[in-house]
Amino acid sequence: MSDTRMNRRELIQRVAWLMGGAISAPAVLGVLNGCSPKPSGASWTPLFLSKEEGAIVEEVADLILPRTDTPGARDVGVPAFIDVILKDAYPSEDQARFVSGLKDFDSEAQRAQGKPFLQLSQAQRLAFLQQIHDAAASAEHAQADDQDIPASQRKRPFVLMMKELTLLGFFTSEVGATQVLQYVAVPGGFQACIPIAQAGNGKEWATETSLRF
Amino acid sequence: MATDQTAKDHSYDAIVIGTGITGGWAAKELTEKGLKTLVLDRGRDVKHGDYPTATKDIWQFPYGGRATDEDLKRQAVAARSGYAITQASKHWFVDDTEHPYVELQRFDWIRGYHVGGRSIMWGRQSYRWSDLDFSANAKDGVAVDWPVRYAEIAPWYDHVESFIGVSGRAEGLAQLPDGKFLPPMDLNCVETHLQQTMAEKFKRKLTIGRVAHLTAPLAHSPQRGTCQYRNLCIRGCPYGAYFSSNSSTLPAAEATGNMTLRPNSIVSEIIYDEGKGRASGVRVIDAETKEQHEFTARVIFLCASTFGSAHVMLNSVSKRFPNGFGNDSGELGCNIMDHHLEVGAGALVDGHTDEYYTGRRPNGFYIPRYRNLGGEQRDYIRGFGYQGGAGRLGWTRLMLDTTLGPDLKQQAATPGPWYIRMGGFGEILPNHANRVTLDRTRKDKWGLPLLAFDAQLRENELKMRKDMANDAAEMLAAAGFREVKTFDRATGVGLGIHEMGTARMGKDPKTSVLNKWNQVHACRNVYVTDGSFMVSSACQNPSLTYMAFTARAVDHAVGELKRMNI
Repeated sequence: MSDTRMNRRELIQRVAWLMGGAISAPAVLGVLNGCSPKPSGASWTPLFLSKEEGAIVEEVADLILPRTDTPGARDVGVPAFIDVILKDAYPSEDQARFVSGLKDFDSEAQRAQGKPFLQLSQAQRLAFLQQIHDAAASAEHAQADDQDIPASQRKRPFVLMMKELTLLGFFTSEVGATQVLQYVAVPGGFQACIPIAQAGNGKEWATETSLRF
Repeated sequence: MATDQTAKDHSYDAIVIGTGITGGWAAKELTEKGLKTLVLDRGRDVKHGDYPTATKDIWQFPYGGRATDEDLKRQAVAARSGYAITQASKHWFVDDTEHPYVELQRFDWIRGYHVGGRSIMWGRQSYRWSDLDFSANAKDGVAVDWPVRYAEIAPWYDHVESFIGVSGRAEGLAQLPDGKFLPPMDLNCVETHLQQTMAEKFKRKLTIGRVAHLTAPLAHSPQRGTCQYRNLCIRGCPYGAYFSSNSSTLPAAEATGNMTLRPNSIVSEIIYDEGKGRASGVRVIDAETKEQHEFTARVIFLCASTFGSAHVMLNSVSKRFPNGFGNDSGELGCNIMDHHLEVGAGALVDGHTDEYYTGRRPNGFYIPRYRNLGGEQRDYIRGFGYQGGAGRLGWTRLMLDTTLGPDLKQQAATPGPWYIRMGGFGEILPNHANRVTLDRTRKDKWGLPLLAFDAQLRENELKMRKDMANDAAEMLAAAGFREVKTFDRATGVGLGIHEMGTARMGKDPKTSVLNKWNQVHACRNVYVTDGSFMVSSACQNPSLTYMAFTARAVDHAVGELKRMNI
């Protein structure tokens, strides 16, 4: 019983942080009274996440960077990229924050929208993601302005970890780099300032940029 | 019991310890002058072209190229740089857990143990010193005077620039002498704008960085090609377009037939012959088998990097040198210098939205020192230069943008606004108390004692940093750039990776370890030509100066051998 209470308290703190501190603790309490989401299952086999978690990751990644006239996050394997980088590259503290944040994200969908995230309509999912995302982004903006904390030390909440890893996985993929951005492996020369229309196809160059952002 | 043959195999005209920027130069010059030379490196062999990640595309790396948590734990010191430890470059940096050292104060000792050393990962910025620098200690009454002046070194700068290839633009500045330059790389439109406003409003120069890159072929190094503007230099260049030992000096040494290269050879000490009053050779631990070997030679060049050489010398204890090799002065290991950095400013730039670039220039702009010149006296002495660059922001700018979905993808595919950033490289004064010692109570896996670092930035540097941040912001604001923000991050000494000073040269053996020829005052057949010899740090990147002094020292040593003086 006392363990459960501890978990509840922790969860409240996490959700409050997820929401950028914008909602009060009593409101968050509602999160804890919801039921578990119905797993829809991921279309790939996660190695680190559960199937249910993988399905949410896949959906969120594809909302962030969907298929348009070019492939989207799901098409280029971003969900599996996120699963593997979490498993192999992240310290356990960050892994735990991602997973608990993911659960909180789903619980908050249930509380705010009445259904687990994956059972919401496409429009509802996007609106919900946007709301959570914007609160977290503005919280980090304020934090970054105040303290100049390096990106790698910001302990981003789930929604921003998702965005960071979706951007990273997508734009360092072959499709992202060559079809959405433009890429030349061996430029062979340097033109310092030319009309943008003459700079290849005029899209942004996929260059090795800072890997932590 | 050594046979005659093994004794012969272990005896050379010269031994070079280390294969980085200076070891490669010593090897080339000694072998070209006909000396049978044993070249030792503590790490694995790397032949030119043996750069495993050099031609990979970003999607061929796991994790988008990012380091794993395990990588960051094993290579925690190199990771302090912020750029060294990625899937594309981590193999050039040591496993810090395997090569520990003691930090009495934070000290960033960033190392690469392999043939070629840090000449593979260096920043390639190549600047001459001037008499402003060589006379600074005498003028300020700091430490000891340099025993040389620019006129003595200038021909050796010519010599090394001609061989390695340095791209740059002549500017006619007294404080930053021009060299023998290959065609300069271009500044972009935003950098040119800053250059113009700095000239008009501040009478200060901005020039393209002077870099050891081939912007035109070199007839004497046909194995080296010209720069392909990939900007993946840190992986090793398959074209040999920037200077490294592997692409340039070691192939030249190899071609003479006089070089014996022995990787995996950790030099534990220099052997001193008490009877003859000279060094007879070196003692080596095989890094893989831990077997010990001795090699003898008539002359020894210590080019193991500033702290690598300090370690060898401090560990070379004899009756004659109870406090470390050549350490009659007590200055061995002292006077650690570097350049202090991570301070400057950045801004966003309006306009130029119809302008972009092709190719990835492995270089930026350089603002030569302008403080404390022409009679100006700030509340600190010496000065700093800036290195920076402008470009258009990429997709990472959208991390905290509220756009999601198709619009995010669309925005990411569109070049972002122009930004500009510059960071200072400040001179660190020599100070006897900034030092490294041997901690004989702690040993590495080869049984060698660990180095213990005790160095910090002091009052002069901290005052200088205020100008380094404020001046950058002032110049960016004067150019009309917006959202100008300064930065000033705490760093350890060492993060400039320009460490120097632990066996300084000087006129007086009582206050210096080396003479003006990089020769140990008290043992004339040992030369130390890596950053150890530096008497002050100036604010220019030092590698070119190390190379010039190395070539000059070899010329001296070979002359002294011929004259039977050593």
